Amino acid sequence: MANHSQLGFQDASSPIMEELVEFHDHALMVALTICSLVLYLLTLMLMEKLSSNTVDAQEVELIWTILPAIVLILLALPSLQILYMMDEIDEPDLTLKAIGHQWYWSYEYTDFKDLSFDSYMIPTTDLPLGHFRLLEVDHRVVIPMESPIRMIITADDVLHSWAVPTLGVKTDAIPGRLNQTSFTTTRPGIFYGQCSEICGANHSFMPIVVESTPLTYFENWSSLISS
Amino acid sequence: MRRLLARRMKFHLFGAFLVSLGCAAIYKFGVAEPRKRAYAEFYRNYDPMKDFEAMRRAGVFESAPPK
Repeated sequence: MANHSQLGFQDASSPIMEELVEFHDHALMVALTICSLVLYLLTLMLMEKLSSNTVDAQEVELIWTILPAIVLILLALPSLQILYMMDEIDEPDLTLKAIGHQWYWSYEYTDFKDLSFDSYMIPTTDLPLGHFRLLEVDHRVVIPMESPIRMIITADDVLHSWAVPTLGVKTDAIPGRLNQTSFTTTRPGIFYGQCSEICGANHSFMPIVVESTPLTYFENWSSLISS
Repeated sequence: MRRLLARRMKFHLFGAFLVSLGCAAIYKFGVAEPRKRAYAEFYRNYDPMKDFEAMRRAGVFESAPPK
C-alpha cells in the first residue's frame, strides 16, 4: 500500500510493473528534457536576450518538426513493447474470476474446486489494531506466488474496476463483458488495491487484498475454505 | 552589432539544448539508474521462502497462520 505523502509508484511486485516503472522513468526524463528546454527559452525571452523579426525560417522549422518526431518515436517504441508484453498470457497456472458488485467483490476459483466467496471491506469500527483503515477485507484473494495467474473480471450491476497498483493491474469490470488480465507475483506478501471506477455511494469502500503465498499454503487454504 | 542576433541565438539555442540534455542526464543517473540497480540488488540474493517465513511469524497471512 502507499505511505502517507507518497508521490511515486509503490514498489513493483510483478515483472510487468517493473517494466512500467522503468518506462515511467524514461517518459518522465523526456518530459523533463522538453520542459527544461522550454523554460530556458522562456527565461531568455523574458530577459529580452532572444527576439527576432525573421520572416523566413525554413531551417528552424525543419528542426522543430524533425526533433519532436524523434521524441515521439523514442516514447512510442518502449510503450508499444510493454503494451504487447501485457497482452501475453502464457499458460497461466490458475484462472480466477473477480466480479464487482455494489459494494463488494466476489471471487470464484473454479479451476479445480468449486470455490467462491465474497470480499467485503472490514468497517473501521471492527478493525483490529495495526490493520489498515479502508483497505482490509474479510476474505482475501489468496494466490500462489511466482505463478502466472489469469484474472477474468466482470461486474454484476454497474461499472467497477479491479486494481492493484503494486502488481501493475487495473482492469475495468463491465456488466455483460468478461475482461481478461494476467500477472505473476515475484514475491510473497499482501498487496492492496481499491475499486477504480466510480460505482456509487460506497465506491471508496470496496478494497481488494491479494495474498501471495507458496503453493503448499495456497493448496491448504483452498482445501480449508472450500470445505 | 553585426549579426548580433544570429550569434546570440546560436549561443543560446546551443545552451538550451545543453541544459535540457543535462537535466535528462541528471534524472537518468540520479534517479532512473539507481532505481534499476536497487531492484537488481534486491532480487540478486532474494530468498522468497525466507521472506515468507518472516512475514508468517509476524502473523500477517490469513492463509498461513503462525505456528
